[in-house]
Amino acid sequence: MKPENPILAGLALVAGLLFLSPVLYSIWMSFQTVDAYYAGQLGFTLDNYARAVGQYNFARYLLNSLIVSGLVTLIGITFATMAAYAFARYSFRGGNFLFAATVATLMIPSHISLIPNYLTLAKVGLLDSYAGLILPAISNGFAAFFLRQYIRGIPKALDEAAYMDGATSLQVLWRIIVPLSRPAIASMALYIFITEWNNYIWPLVAVGKQDLYTLQIGLARLYRINPGEGLIDWPLVMAASTITILPVLLGFLLVERHLVRGITMGAVK
Amino acid sequence: MLRKLTPYLFVAPLMIFIALFTYIPILASLNLSFREWNFLSPDMPFVGFRNYEQLLASRDLWNSLWVTTLFAVLSVPLRLGLALVIANYLVRESMHVRLLRGALFLPSVTSTVSIAVVFSWVFSTDYGMVNAILGTFGLGKVQWLQNPHLALWVLIFVNTWKQIGYDIVIYIAGLQAIPRELYDAAAVDGGKRLHMFRRITMPLVMPTTYFLLIISVIEAFQVFTIVNVMTKGGPAGATDMLVNLLYEIGFVLFDIGRGSALAVLLFILLVGLAILKSRIIGRKVHYEA
Repeated sequence: MKPENPILAGLALVAGLLFLSPVLYSIWMSFQTVDAYYAGQLGFTLDNYARAVGQYNFARYLLNSLIVSGLVTLIGITFATMAAYAFARYSFRGGNFLFAATVATLMIPSHISLIPNYLTLAKVGLLDSYAGLILPAISNGFAAFFLRQYIRGIPKALDEAAYMDGATSLQVLWRIIVPLSRPAIASMALYIFITEWNNYIWPLVAVGKQDLYTLQIGLARLYRINPGEGLIDWPLVMAASTITILPVLLGFLLVERHLVRGITMGAVK
Repeated sequence: MLRKLTPYLFVAPLMIFIALFTYIPILASLNLSFREWNFLSPDMPFVGFRNYEQLLASRDLWNSLWVTTLFAVLSVPLRLGLALVIANYLVRESMHVRLLRGALFLPSVTSTVSIAVVFSWVFSTDYGMVNAILGTFGLGKVQWLQNPHLALWVLIFVNTWKQIGYDIVIYIAGLQAIPRELYDAAAVDGGKRLHMFRRITMPLVMPTTYFLLIISVIEAFQVFTIVNVMTKGGPAGATDMLVNLLYEIGFVLFDIGRGSALAVLLFILLVGLAILKSRIIGRKVHYEA
């Protein structure tokens, strides 16, 4: 790395802050009392968060989002890794066809399945349930494709050595492939988690019961029902918005490099 | 026997769920698009192409197609052009560049609903950030989201703000793959920076541009969240994009047949675009370094 030019560094900092200013300001606003906000004064409070979490049920929405995104990630990454392993290491009848069908899902607009999936889940009574939120999201063609490419880069000699020692294919997957693919699996898990966390249209149609709202639905509803009479209670809405952003924001700060690498690996390869 | 079954067992969970929630629904949509059903009535009579005829005869569909195309045609070049210029600057390695990259990338992983809500405030008429800034210059208040001529531009702005970091990151990866010697050689020949950008950078980063073009056009045709939160398709249909119309027909009016017909049309349109573009790409892009 070259030594820093302090002027450039300062400019970059200002540009970054300016770019993010709407979000930064919304976080700032979430700590204002509504009266102070509309009067253009300062008044620090945590009351907006207390109301969002208590009266407006955002603790529950946060829990729902964590459960749904967590399970989708766990199941989704397991399915994708298993399939990727088979696609990368076995040649079997219909294997190419199934792989093509997996890759083709990347081109298929997800909205075509909206109405049929709604009807299917209604028929089996899974609307308004965690299962209804989770099941349509656990098959991730992109993750399977990406992991298959990655696993193909792992030397096959490692598998063969393990088979010589009497390992089963499941052991090879678990003891050799998974540990060696850890960076790829981590980026894909992150990708699935973020996608599901931010998912909006499916929970919007699949859930009517308030106790099952995810954060996204809860926030959109809170903004739309307009809790301030006449004037929108923006500080309250922004507190809810901050709660919705925060987990991904924290995760982002922890693993930014990982995430960026994963995304570019997928795109450029 | 078991050995032969092994790969099938490994792919089975993924394939079953892909079949259940991606492929069978395509056929189901096709089937439903030829029927009349409101989700409640006990039978769903076959009505031939009537749903399609009604759709194609409705002003809503053509309005949505127009609005969505406009959104794509305006927002995609804006995104990619800006992203390439910024990436060209951010491709070097230093601490402040990394920070700026992080700041630009952040919105693309942030909740779209949150962003839509925050920008609903930013562009709100009475207490919004934009009108406050305009006010300090003595300019009057603008009704950004209530004016049919402006609302779509606001959505384009918000979408660009959210997605550009992703484009930049992808472009940076593409730029890093261009051999340095090309620039060195051009510099020896006395090449100007703008000249180098046009003659070396732009053609050599073409594969990345095509990749981003595909993704962002397909994305633009499926924009829904910011529409649903910020404008609900209004004012007067000015932001009523295709997926919003699909949502309205399918889940507000519960006209399952017509909604499915629209889904099928959207599907044909997007898969058609994808195939068309893979043809073009197959012919034009041979710049892999």
